Amino acid sequence: MALTVLSCSPRTLFCETLFNIASFLTKKLNIGGKRVNLAIWDTAGQERFHALGPIYYRDSNGAILVYDITDEDSFQKVKNWVKELRKMLGNEICLCIVGNKIDLEKERHVSIQEAESYAESVGAKHYHTSAKQNKGIEELFLDLCKRMIETAQVDERAKGNGSSQPGAARRGVQIIDDEPQAQSGGGGCCSSG
Amino acid sequence: MTLVSRMIGNSFSHVLVCPLISRKKMSLKSERRGIHVDQSELLCKKGCGYYGNPAWQGFCSKCWREEYHKARQKQIQEDWELAERLQREEEEAFASSQSSQGAQSLTFSKFEEKKTNEKTRKVTTVKKFFSASSRVGSKKEIQEAKAPSPSINRQTSIETDRVSKEFIEFLKTFHKTGQEIYKQTKMFLEAMHYKRELSIEEQSECTQDFYQNVAEKMQTRGKVPSEKVEKIMDQIEKYIMTRLYKYVFCPETTDDEKKDLAIQKRIRALHWVTPQMLCVPVNEEIPEVSDMVVKAITDIIEMDSKRVPRDKLACITRCSKHIFNAIKITKNEPASADDFLPTLIYIVLKGNPPRLQSNIQYITRFCNPSRLMTGEDGYYFTNLCCAVAFIEKLDAQSLNLSQEDFDRYMSGQTSPRKQESESWSPDACLGVKQMYKNLDLLSQLNERQERIMNEAKKLEKDLIDWTDGIAKEVQDIVEKYPLEIKPAAQPLAAIDSENVENDKLPPPLQPQVYAG
Repeated sequence: MALTVLSCSPRTLFCETLFNIASFLTKKLNIGGKRVNLAIWDTAGQERFHALGPIYYRDSNGAILVYDITDEDSFQKVKNWVKELRKMLGNEICLCIVGNKIDLEKERHVSIQEAESYAESVGAKHYHTSAKQNKGIEELFLDLCKRMIETAQVDERAKGNGSSQPGAARRGVQIIDDEPQAQSGGGGCCSSG
Repeated sequence: MTLVSRMIGNSFSHVLVCPLISRKKMSLKSERRGIHVDQSELLCKKGCGYYGNPAWQGFCSKCWREEYHKARQKQIQEDWELAERLQREEEEAFASSQSSQGAQSLTFSKFEEKKTNEKTRKVTTVKKFFSASSRVGSKKEIQEAKAPSPSINRQTSIETDRVSKEFIEFLKTFHKTGQEIYKQTKMFLEAMHYKRELSIEEQSECTQDFYQNVAEKMQTRGKVPSEKVEKIMDQIEKYIMTRLYKYVFCPETTDDEKKDLAIQKRIRALHWVTPQMLCVPVNEEIPEVSDMVVKAITDIIEMDSKRVPRDKLACITRCSKHIFNAIKITKNEPASADDFLPTLIYIVLKGNPPRLQSNIQYITRFCNPSRLMTGEDGYYFTNLCCAVAFIEKLDAQSLNLSQEDFDRYMSGQTSPRKQESESWSPDACLGVKQMYKNLDLLSQLNERQERIMNEAKKLEKDLIDWTDGIAKEVQDIVEKYPLEIKPAAQPLAAIDSENVENDKLPPPLQPQVYAG
């Protein structure tokens, strides 16, 4: 499986932590005895490249949308991304909404209830992370991978097993990152196939 | 190579050959003929009554020309047949006995294809009705075009041969699984041969299915570990794509070529885009960085010369690595995707790689999907797709320019570089830059020298004018007030004469005595 990250501009800590070495990295995960190779892709997040988003996420199974809990705007951008992704990819895509910077709980501007209920209303899962303290990120990826595998299997069964569609194998996941500095609301896209 | 030598050997078996073989062989022949000539008459062998010549093998010039022409035709024919036979044998060696018939048409297929395509272009509808007759026509043309074709076939077959050999050698290390794979690959290639008429998307779909099936079979039935599966898949891809390349790269049934030309034109029209407009974080003044940029451009251009999708991807990856290095040297920190994509766009704009769209389409259609979607290569490839999409849609806004400026640059009325003080392109290497600087300096000096010359000439003219002017003035004055020299006696006399106006003066004072 592969994972792509649509990152934002300027770089947020979430992306920085992920891509401190290179803009392309692989992660090996073990899920339910199944070895999963996660290829995580960094993408350009400047506003002028926003239109290129579909090229990165068109073959994805899932998306991680990251917002900053201290910034209301970034949460609005998450909503826009959800709309776009649902429109482009339908319900086949696993959505994760991530409230980042939980180390700054005091400055919280997006309420937990609001975020969680919104996530539920669009069929997404909500997570809390702190990139600074490296909290919740590993769990996030593990959980997302599990869900992606499940969705992929359900899809396959629905399609009638035998004729393995090459397209299905080519799908991946997105991460969309809407942290505050991200004026563009850059996306993080993780595709795992 | 073996094919070449065998062909020469064959030509020797005819008596009347020579222009195609080397001089050395000629001399050998004439020696043998030397004895021959002694025994025979000196007249033309054909008995036309003229004298023959050993150099013309005993014929007179006229008969020789006729004979020679005939022989050459015959030889070409035979060479052609031989090449065809060898090709057939070669095909048979790889394919099962069933495919030998198909292989025969394989030799012609190139021409048939060309011809058919030509027909399609000219008379699409007519061709449908007369497809049978057009075939016949194409065969005729093949015979006319015989001579150059064996070399083309030979050339491609050399590379195909090499790849095939490597593939077989490679599979030998896998014993039974290898045999199974070879069989499947052969069957697939045969099937593809009959699917050539299908649309490129269908052919692509077949190839993708094949990749997936083979990989699955290896994992489930052969119990091959996944790392090995990857290696085998790479070899399979190399083998089948080397063979399919000429049929499926930029096929004429698609508009790939049109798109190639469109993007090429577009990139040319955008020649004025500077790194600053794209916010490219690369400083080409640093020699190391400009070196990396040049290497990146070379790699992306090289992509077109590769046949296997994986090799093409490797070129893109190498290019991307150079870009990352260039950014790293400039910024002194690892590059992020925010830096990478603009730089890649800049490199594509500068390099204008040939057949860009065809290559992208070809890779998308025929590359092993697992590599394309998960690997590092896939990441860089996706970025290249983005770069191309960006270039296609690029407008004033994406370069932070005003619409008027953008339009003016696009129409070529002005160039943003002209406004800069530097008239040379910023991408030139240091030496060239120095040269341009020196040229600039020289032209400045030249200008100044000219100015000095002009000034000097002006000064000279001024001086001449001045002297002339003075002379004229003096002349004028002299004319106006001519110098009249009066006789000297008169004034002298006047001085000496009695005072004329004496009487107007009061009388001179007379001394008076006062007695007191």
